Order: sequence, then C-alpha cells, then structure tokens
Amino acid sequence: MAIIRLLLVDDEERFLTTTSALLEKRGLETFTATNGLDAIKVLDANRIDVVILDVRMPGLDGLEVLCSIKHKHPLIEVIMLTGHATVESAVSGLRLGAFDYLMKPCDVSVLLKKVAEAHARKQTAEEEARKARIDHIVSDPLSVFEDEQPPQ
Amino acid sequence: MLLCGSLIYYFATYSRSQVKSELMRIASDHRRLIDEFLSERAGDLRFATSFYNCEALCTQGRLEQLFGYLQSSSKAFFDLGVFDDEGNHLAYVGPFDLAGKNYAKAEWFTALQETDLYISDVFLGYRNIPHFVLAVRKDHRNRRWFLRATIDTLYFNDLVEQIHVGKTGEAYLVNRKGTLQSARRGKGRLMEQDPDDGSYTVDGGMAPTFSAGRHSGQRYLYATEPLRLIDWVLVVRQEMSDAYASLSHAVLAAAGIIVGGGVVVVFLAFVLASGLSHQLALADVEKREMRTQLIIAGKLAEVGEMSAGLAHEINNPLQVMKSEQAMIEEVLSDMKESRVPPKSEDLAVIKDAAQQINTQIERCKGITQELLKFARKNEPSIRPVELKTSLAEAVHMVERQAQIENIRIVQELDPELPLLIGDPNRLQQVFLNLLNNSVHALKGKGGGEIHIRAQRDGDSAVSISVADDGCGIRPEDMDKIFHPFFTTKPVGEGTGLGLSTVYGIVEGLGGQISVTSELNGGTVFTVSLPLAPTEEPDHANADGKRSNAHREEDGHNGDYTTAVGG
Repeated sequence: MAIIRLLLVDDEERFLTTTSALLEKRGLETFTATNGLDAIKVLDANRIDVVILDVRMPGLDGLEVLCSIKHKHPLIEVIMLTGHATVESAVSGLRLGAFDYLMKPCDVSVLLKKVAEAHARKQTAEEEARKARIDHIVSDPLSVFEDEQPPQ
Repeated sequence: MLLCGSLIYYFATYSRSQVKSELMRIASDHRRLIDEFLSERAGDLRFATSFYNCEALCTQGRLEQLFGYLQSSSKAFFDLGVFDDEGNHLAYVGPFDLAGKNYAKAEWFTALQETDLYISDVFLGYRNIPHFVLAVRKDHRNRRWFLRATIDTLYFNDLVEQIHVGKTGEAYLVNRKGTLQSARRGKGRLMEQDPDDGSYTVDGGMAPTFSAGRHSGQRYLYATEPLRLIDWVLVVRQEMSDAYASLSHAVLAAAGIIVGGGVVVVFLAFVLASGLSHQLALADVEKREMRTQLIIAGKLAEVGEMSAGLAHEINNPLQVMKSEQAMIEEVLSDMKESRVPPKSEDLAVIKDAAQQINTQIERCKGITQELLKFARKNEPSIRPVELKTSLAEAVHMVERQAQIENIRIVQELDPELPLLIGDPNRLQQVFLNLLNNSVHALKGKGGGEIHIRAQRDGDSAVSISVADDGCGIRPEDMDKIFHPFFTTKPVGEGTGLGLSTVYGIVEGLGGQISVTSELNGGTVFTVSLPLAPTEEPDHANADGKRSNAHREEDGHNGDYTTAVGG
C-alpha cells in the first residue's frame, strides 16, 4: 500500500506539530498549513492524497478552501474538521465534495482511520479512472492522441 | 352646568314676571272692586238726591226710609245726613245724635262746593271714631243741598283686608300722603302713617306700579294701583321670599342638582384618575419587568449566538489535548516495546505534551469562566466600573471571531478615563453587543477595522463609540434598529435582541445611545454614560487588580490574546 500523503490544515500550530509527528510515526507523510492560502500552495507544490481541513480559520475559511481544492484537484479527498458542527455547514461541506466530517476533539486513531478510508476511496477512484481510461483506449485507441479527457 | 344655569335663568325670569303679573292682577282686581263699591255707593246717594228733594228728606221718617233702602243695598252705610248750603245738618239718621251741627268748615263741605261728589279720607270727626264720608251735592232750583253718608270703616276694611296673597301677602289702602286708609293685618293701624311708605313707588297719575323695596330688614314686592274715584292707592304687598318661594325652591333644587352632579363628577374623576394612575403604575412595573426580561432574553440570545464560537473555542484546545495525549501514549508504547531505559528526548516529549495539555486545560478554564460570567443571571450590582477593563473584556470575547474575519480591533482610549457607575456585567453586554454587530457588519468583507474610542464627555459623562467600516445600516432600517426582534440577519442567526438590550441597559444607566451610519460606509454607535462618583476607591482598586491579573494570565496563553486581528 502506498504511503498516504496527508495535508493538515488548522490554525492551531501545536495541534499541527503534534498530530503530524504522531502520524509520521504511523508511516504517513504529512504536510501542514495554518491557513487556507498556505494549504493551496502546499497542494499545488506536492502530490497530496488526503486533506484534513479545519472549517473555521482566519482568512479563507474551510469551505472556501474545500471549493478551491475540489476545483483544482478533484481526486483529493478532504476530511472536514470542525470545532462546532452545524447541520448546515456539514451538508454544504458534503455537497461540495468533502469525504467526511470530523468533530473536534477527535481521537488521533479515529482521525487516522478516516484518513485511511479516504485514501482507500481515492485509490479506488483512481483505479476506476485508470480502468475507464484503459477501456476507453482499448475501445478507441486513437483517443490516446486526443487531449486527456477526464473519465466519464 | 351651562344648561342648568341657563334653565335657572329662564325659569327665574319667567317666575319673576309671573309673580309680578300676579301681584299686579290682584291689585288691579281689588282696585276695581273698591272703585266699584265706592261708585255704587256714590250712585246710591246720587239716585237718592235725584229721587228726593231736600225738603222731602227733611220730613220726619223720610230719611229713615231712605237709609233703610240704602242699607238694604249695602250694609256699608253707617249713617246718613242732609245738609243745607250753609253746612247745617238738617236731618240725620244713624246711631249718633248729630242733627243741628254745622259742617260749614268741614273739609268735605268746602270740597263739595267745587265738585258734586266727595269721598273723604278716613278721619275721626265729631264722633271720634275712624270713618270716611261719601257726600254728593245737589243743585235743585237754585237751591243747593248735600247728602252725606258715612261708610262703615269696618265693613270697608273687610273688603281690603280679606285679600290674601301667599302666606305673607296683604293689601291695604293709603292716601297720597301715605296715611293708612284701611287697617293692615300686620303692623299699621288705621289713619297712621304707613310704615312701608317710601319703600314702594306710586304713580302720580292712574298707572299701576310694581316695585321691590326693603323695609325693616325684609325685602318686599309691592304692587300699587291708584283708585279712580278717590285719591287713594291700593297697595298689595308680599314678602319677596314668599313670592319667590317656588323660584327659590327651584333654584335650590337646581343648585342641589349642580352641586350633587359636581360631587358625582369629582368623585368619578377621582375614581377614574386613581384607577388610571394605578394602571399606569402597573404598566410602569410591567415595562420595567419587560426590560429586565428583555435584558435576560438578550443575554440568552447572545449566549446562543456565541455558543458556536465558544464550542469552537473549547473544542480546539481539546483537540490539541487529544493529540498530545495520543503522542504520550505513542511514546510510552514505544518505550514499552523497546525495553530500554527511556531516552531523554522521549521523556522531553512526554513532559512537553503534559505541559501542553495543562496549558490547554487552562485555556478551556478561561473560556468557561468567560461564558459563566456572561450567562450568569445576577441582579444588577451597581458599582464603579473601570471602563478600560470592561472594554478589554468585551474585546477579548469577540477577538477570536474578529481574527477569523480578518478584522482589526483598535482601541483608542483616553488614558485618564474616569470611573463609570453601573453594573459591570450589563456594561460589558452593551460593549459586546456593539462589537458583535460591528464584526457582523464586516463579515464577508475580507477584513476591516473596528475603532473603539472612549473619552470624557463634559464633566459628568463618558462617551464610548464603536465604529466600523462595514456594511452600514439601510436608512429605512434606522428607526427600527432598537426595536426588539428587529434583525437584518438571516433567519436563525440573529434574534433581534442585541440593540434593544443595549438600549434598555444604557437607558437604565441614565445614558444615551446614538447611531450614525452610511450604507456600505460604516456605522458608529456612540454611548454616553453618566460618570460614577469619585468615592469608593476600594471597589475601583479591586476591580483594577482583577483586570490586571486577568491580563497577565492572558499573556501566558500566547496566541490567545496577542495580535488582535490578522
């Protein structure tokens, strides 16, 4: 199984350092960002599988960052982390394509489990995308020469 | 009242004219009666003089016969006498022995030289009893003779005296000199001067008069009418109070009604007024209760609005603790597996994590304390408040939210701010609500500034303004912003109690609140609050110390209070 590349976005720096240290110990490769803009920069610069995103942050808020991620990197799974989950924000988050919601305070083990699930789904999705592409190429080899199309 | 008054006036006028016409009618009727009586008697004598001649009457028995006739016609004739032109009493019939006396000097005799009928005033004469005479002159074949009759004054008196008007009304006759010609039921004997003479007016001619006069302390109404045949006047007199008895009864009744009505009106007014004032007092109490309830409701609403933020505030440190705890466990399990003495760096990690947990616990404690301080429903405790502390605490509570919205909160406080008097919790609620509104106004703007200014406002007040460069208030909403439950926030986000609560509190403190706003330009709320008296420095110091301690504590928390805004 491939190493999970995780991005942690939260304005609590201590949370970032400790959690990332822990997750590194569990074999994850972690990146951190303390605000939305930084997070987007990190995403642009690195290949990331899963993002753990705090909803409430100074500057760009979580939902805005989510939008931006899903727009630029649709396959990256995003887990929302919130100090105070309201039904509205949860629904809008999920509608925007978040993988799941986690409520603070959250056990690191739960967090890890969720990350694993998200990663698994991402892999599945990528696998399916690849398969579809292969099928597509098989059925229509000429399409290789066309511009890459997203899977249907 | 007016109606009553005018009714009384008309009734009085009517009643007066009634009394007047009644008295004058009586006077007129009786005058006619007396005149008729006198003219009948004169007619009797005239008839006698034309039927008999002087000589015939002087014949023995003839005069008696005539007297008999006359008496059968009227009992008023008392005696009868025949006189020659020299005043000699030729014949006489009557109870006295008067024949042979000479009357040449008698007033009636001299008067009769000019006229053919004479009626005298009442006089005593030879007989020494009051009487009056009725005499006629007869000129027959160059011979002049006279027939004279005495009228029974008692009989005549009856004619007049029997007149009764009301309880006190009476009638009597006077001559032009005011001498009584008939006895009066009350004071005043025959032939005496009328005691009422001068109290009434008498017409010089024949016209009836009506007058009111005062006599011996009583007010009287007089109706007079001169007799036709003789220079006498019939006077009808009635006490005014008696005459106007019905009127005064009516006036009394009306006055009673007015006074009674007035009393009823006053009583009703009193009852209504006291009822009204009671209701007003009740309404006042209700209003005060309402305001208290509004403050409580506003406070609860603020708690609700802030609960999201506070949950976030608490859950963040808890999340940090979770991570630290997980880290400790991780390190511990690593140690267990490796079975070697713990490495110093691992111990350092554990120590650091434990310390971090403690820090986060302290942070949570601070948050819960803030929450409790705010939500506690305590009676207003009026005491001197240090404005700087109060403002700092309020700022502290919105800081986090402001940070998220990228809002800078700038405090421009006069360093020599005096103490305020008021309930610190409520004051804080005022500032907190205003700050929350400003934060809300700047929401979605991607940053902004809130300026808090506080300075002395004259000698007796302090003015605190909270200004933002946010969305502003629409002009049409300006007069509604202090109304309870008025809100521009989406359903579920605002209760509309914030500013009404602020208004209630500021008013309760004897202060004023004003607002200027420009749509999309920003809003300035200015609160002017009366100053605290300068005494009670103990309280002030205690307050000051507490706030200092608070700030130091905050300092430990690092990111929690420093660097306001983004």
